[in-house]
Amino acid sequence: MADTDDVSARHGRYDRRELLRRAGVGAVSIGVAGSGFGHAFYGPLRFKGRWLKGDLSIIQWAHFVPAYDVWFDKTWCVNWGQKNDVQVKVDHILNTLLPARMAAESAAGSGHDLFFNLSPPAQFEDRVIDHAEIVQEVTRKLGKIGIVAKGATYNPRTKKWFAFSDNYVPDPVVWRHDIWNATGLSPNTWDNVRKAAPKLKASGHPLGIGQSAELDSNMALMSFLMCFGAYVQDAQHRVTIKNKRTVEAVKFMADIYKKGETDEIFGWDPSGNNNFLYSGRGSMILNAISATRTPEDKKLPFADQLYISPIPRGPVTRRGFEHVMGCYTIWKFSPNKAAAKKFLADLEINYKQAFVASKFYNFPSWPGAYPFSQIKKVAGQDPHKPHGKYQVLTVIAQKYTVNPGWPGHSNAAFDEMFNKFLIPKMFAQVSQGKMSAADAVSAANHDISAIYSKWRKAGKI
Amino acid sequence: MNAAALREKGLAYLIVGPFALVLAFPFYVMVITAFKNGTEFYDSTATPYWFKHGPTWENVRFLFHNTPYTTWLKNTAIIGIAVVGITLVLAVPAGYALARLAGRVGQSLGVGIFLTYLVPPTLLFLPLYWVINTLHQQDTLLSLILVYPSFTVPFSTWLLMGFFKTIPQELEDAAQIDGASRLKTLVRVVFPISLPGILTVVIFSFSLVLNEFVYAFTFISSTGHRTLSTGVYTDLIRGDLPQWGAIMVAALIPSIPLALLYNAFLDRFIAGFTGGAFR
Amino acid sequence: MRAAVEAVAQARPRGRRWTDILERPVFLASVLISPAVIFIGALVAAPLGLAVWLSFTNATAGSLSGKYVGLHNFRTEWSNPQFKDAVWHTFLFTVFSQVVVLLVAGLLAHALLKDFRGKWLLRFLILLPWAAPLPLSLMGWKWIFDPSYSILDWTLVHLHISGPLTAPHFLATAKWAMASVIAVHAWRIIPFAVVIFLAGLASIPREVDDAAAIDGATGFRKFASVTLPLQLPIATVALLFGIVFTATDMAVVYILTQGGPPPSFSTEMVTTWSYKTGVESGSLGPGAAISLALLPVLAVVSIGMLLFAKRTEVT
Repeated sequence: MADTDDVSARHGRYDRRELLRRAGVGAVSIGVAGSGFGHAFYGPLRFKGRWLKGDLSIIQWAHFVPAYDVWFDKTWCVNWGQKNDVQVKVDHILNTLLPARMAAESAAGSGHDLFFNLSPPAQFEDRVIDHAEIVQEVTRKLGKIGIVAKGATYNPRTKKWFAFSDNYVPDPVVWRHDIWNATGLSPNTWDNVRKAAPKLKASGHPLGIGQSAELDSNMALMSFLMCFGAYVQDAQHRVTIKNKRTVEAVKFMADIYKKGETDEIFGWDPSGNNNFLYSGRGSMILNAISATRTPEDKKLPFADQLYISPIPRGPVTRRGFEHVMGCYTIWKFSPNKAAAKKFLADLEINYKQAFVASKFYNFPSWPGAYPFSQIKKVAGQDPHKPHGKYQVLTVIAQKYTVNPGWPGHSNAAFDEMFNKFLIPKMFAQVSQGKMSAADAVSAANHDISAIYSKWRKAGKI
Repeated sequence: MNAAALREKGLAYLIVGPFALVLAFPFYVMVITAFKNGTEFYDSTATPYWFKHGPTWENVRFLFHNTPYTTWLKNTAIIGIAVVGITLVLAVPAGYALARLAGRVGQSLGVGIFLTYLVPPTLLFLPLYWVINTLHQQDTLLSLILVYPSFTVPFSTWLLMGFFKTIPQELEDAAQIDGASRLKTLVRVVFPISLPGILTVVIFSFSLVLNEFVYAFTFISSTGHRTLSTGVYTDLIRGDLPQWGAIMVAALIPSIPLALLYNAFLDRFIAGFTGGAFR
Repeated sequence: MRAAVEAVAQARPRGRRWTDILERPVFLASVLISPAVIFIGALVAAPLGLAVWLSFTNATAGSLSGKYVGLHNFRTEWSNPQFKDAVWHTFLFTVFSQVVVLLVAGLLAHALLKDFRGKWLLRFLILLPWAAPLPLSLMGWKWIFDPSYSILDWTLVHLHISGPLTAPHFLATAKWAMASVIAVHAWRIIPFAVVIFLAGLASIPREVDDAAAIDGATGFRKFASVTLPLQLPIATVALLFGIVFTATDMAVVYILTQGGPPPSFSTEMVTTWSYKTGVESGSLGPGAAISLALLPVLAVVSIGMLLFAKRTEVT
């Protein structure tokens, strides 16, 4: 995930036009006063777009692509505020601290009007409004919501939209073309990855699929499971981890570890795999495109050799989770709900600007906000080598990306299972030879089932 | 100088030298990292012990120009000083009472005060934030100034109690026989000799404030109100790629003067712990 | 001595001024203690009470209210192997880091009593870890341990002690991760303990030293029979604060390892486990139960040590 950018872009020395030029999309107009903006939402206008008032406070992460924050704080919010006569204030916080801050606001019953999270905050369902109204409004403008966003923010059991997703981030494979070249293979199937593993490690460039207590490992391993046809839960939110396919997948990954990785994959934090790649040692990781943007910005010698591909195909299918999922929530106690709702609807309807500002990192949750065909065209103009490397993101987003919890919906039980790193634990048991694959899967099934039954009892799944 | 004394000195060097180097090693790494060129961080051929392309001020400049670092320093200083003040006002009398006056009830209260110190802030921050909110102090420096004494006071009270016990009772008795009231004795006689001890508490409380981060993270949400630690975590760790150089600068700037200060006062510390000249 | 003071106090003419009431030790004591008690009570008692209440409920995600479930949370966690592991890790972490701290700090304090050239500089270096704001110095350690850029690994590889692919990854294996957090924690507590020890040593009256010398006690025997007993109270204070700093610490462990490498999660402590459960996973009730689990143990240990420190006071 990750990243930085060069110093000047981070600190707003570039104006909007400069940003656009850098992103190679000079032709796209991003005037905030786009057509129809003033009456985008929430009933008939009373005072010509001046019917909202007061303050709107937003808290969100410090974006991995810092240019996005510059655009969001200095351009988008300022313009939106002027247009709607609302004073917008944005606070940024380190992403790993979002849960603590969210819990504190919830406990106190007071906080920001809009709270942004990087994963669907299903546990807070009772504390937030039903976001259906905003979803309907955006859908009216842009057409159907993407399946990723719907799966992530709608609870079919309670029939409530417990969050509003503005974006999601595709999770490609990032790999070193020069190193892989020597093996004569490419990471388009997991079989190939396993075949190449010993050669890559022997050349001093191991693979980097994490099995650590952190987000990237969690995402990579669960995506890996799906490629083998194994899922944590089914569409009815019953635990389905215990089966032959999971066992096979876990064994397969243990094999990849033994042949092509070192034990550092157990001790990473979310930036572990990034650093592994940037140090020039790594030959492949699963991560969002910040992992290629940083080498570009830092002009690392192998930046042009970093290729982006969809997740390798497994024996059953090719499918991965998104990398992170942007989810805004409005507290029941938010003082300015009306402004918060309109803000979200307007943001999504104009998401084209956000996509560009994030350097193709954030994909709109509503495909209608910026059609894939157009994204592909814009991505093709990115100046970095190999040319057009970012175009594949649209394929990944369209064909291979699903919501966390797929084929079911994201929910509190899935989230707890995620936050306790039970999947990396299951894989690591086998990779380190501490348990047989069958035992590790049984143990994981036991822990996960306990979590699910707790949340089922609470009536949330 | 005789042989035995020489041997003792040699031994002292042998013990203190290596440990001092080990303890200070991270700071050496921090200094080198602080002045390293941006690209060297990703260059595995560059030695981590020195500079490949020469030292640079880039990270220092970045810290001061691109983040509100001076504001964080100021906030931290304000909170630190206020908390130290509150701590002294509360802990000095309490420590004295525990040492000299309290009966059974006082002792239990003292133990009670200490026990509150054992509660980990891991979850306590949730109900505490509710209190802060009830007092309408969300996102203010005052919220931290209010909450921090909850751990500096117990710590300081017990430290001071130990200290007051070392002041010879005779001194106080003498003053009281001269007709001074207890309160007067306290203010005129006891506190002045306790200065070193009070200094100790000042510095320990201050460093406890510097180290705290759970409350600082959850109570404060805007950049302008952040303290050193939390500000660095939010503005210098972008996603998962920290600005290593600038972070090291941010860490070194408060550490070095504080360590100098601690060192300069250490002799007084020792006097502070031991009750001064009357031993 | 106390009796004498009381006698003096009693002997003076009474009833002249209302302030005389301040002369009564018990009353004065309550006047002096109560501000601290009231402040802490007002601030911490309510939240602490709430936390205790939460541990008996099924509250979720920071809602501070939930249905009463009795001892259910405690029972569930008690039978949860992850919780048991966390308790065990906390115990190991506390004991090992405190042993290291006591040994090193004791040694350093003894050596620092001597006068020698350069002492000022060495003492400055020793104090640095305590002066640095912890969250920031931990970033320094994170950089030192970084799996890809570790200066330690770099050194090992360049001294040909290990190959580039076999260099130890300090936060990646169960034992190394535990050793690392213990080392870092000891690193930050040592200066604090040194200062307390120095104070303790300096407080040993000169006469005692002299008397021991006359009795012919030197070296280890003097240390064991004279220095050590006299130092006990102050060592107890250092140890007590050390234990509390360690057992309730979350910063070192969470920032460095997030609970440790799977599958063992060898540095998952009671604090981090409670945070993961109560805050990150939204099971606030069980999380509160976990966070309170250590309280009785720590309370017993602390009270015991405080009593011990009182008993052994040198007067």
